[in-house]
Amino acid sequence: MAASVQNNKPVSQAPSFLSALKRSALSFAAILPMLFGVIGLVGLFQTMVSPRMLASVFQGNPFIDTFIGTLSGSAALGNPVVSYLLGGELLAQGISMYAVSAFMLAWVTLGFTQLPIEMEALGHRFTLYRNILAFFSTMVVAVLTTLTVGLFP
Amino acid sequence: MSTAPFRWRGLKFFAIITATYALAYVYDQHTALAALQTSGTILHKVLPIIAIVIGATAIINRMVQPRKIIRHLGKESGAKGWVIALSAGVISHGPMYLWYPMIEDLRQHGVRDALLVAFFYSRAIKLPLLPLMIDYFGWAFTAILTIYILIAAVIQGWILEKVWR
Repeated sequence: MAASVQNNKPVSQAPSFLSALKRSALSFAAILPMLFGVIGLVGLFQTMVSPRMLASVFQGNPFIDTFIGTLSGSAALGNPVVSYLLGGELLAQGISMYAVSAFMLAWVTLGFTQLPIEMEALGHRFTLYRNILAFFSTMVVAVLTTLTVGLFP
Repeated sequence: MSTAPFRWRGLKFFAIITATYALAYVYDQHTALAALQTSGTILHKVLPIIAIVIGATAIINRMVQPRKIIRHLGKESGAKGWVIALSAGVISHGPMYLWYPMIEDLRQHGVRDALLVAFFYSRAIKLPLLPLMIDYFGWAFTAILTIYILIAAVIQGWILEKVWR
């Protein structure tokens, strides 16, 4: 680490913007194979899974459907707008608000498809804990939101 | 600043996805090509965000000294750390995986894991999309969900730190 001495105290020197930019670009370039892999997986998912196919996995039991909603939202990836549209479509097909909330929330907070890239960047332990916490939180938030909204006329 | 030697990451994963596409092409040429086209569209959309993330990481490395990061987002950051993490999560754009290199960098500079967990979960709130959510699901649903997401983000970070010990 480069350091200069000022008033007898060592002061860390910040890198020049160009070298910081180069370092940042290189660290991003290193994950390109992983990034292309994740994007390829998202492309496959969006092409192969239709909303009707998605609706067919729900059982009709609100609490089991909350779990299924979290699971299917975790497996999906894409623009959050798509999750809202799909959520609206699932509601129209009679899927409970519990499941739809869980699905939309899991869509943006979890991602099985991006687990490899998260593990590579942040470590297996952190990734595992973060995703387990987010999975259960998503189910709790979905149930609480639906129950609380139900209190309003 | 550490200068680790450059190495490609995730080559095996990329090889598996490439093989999956090759297999899909053999069985259903039309679907494989459609999936490839969808992936191309996604890549095109995320390019500007990649530029933003690279630029933001460089600015952080250039402007913000590690000891400042530790003071604002380290172990002794207190309530301010939570507010910064939640706010950053709410205003951050694009897919989560684009932010991993920057988060990895911040983590190496001493940012608390609890704050990173809170950041990731608060990303569920998408400010530009709130009007659309209100239109689809109503004011009450959107407001209540937003509040619960923020509470859940903090609770997750808090639990992570308790479990870590």
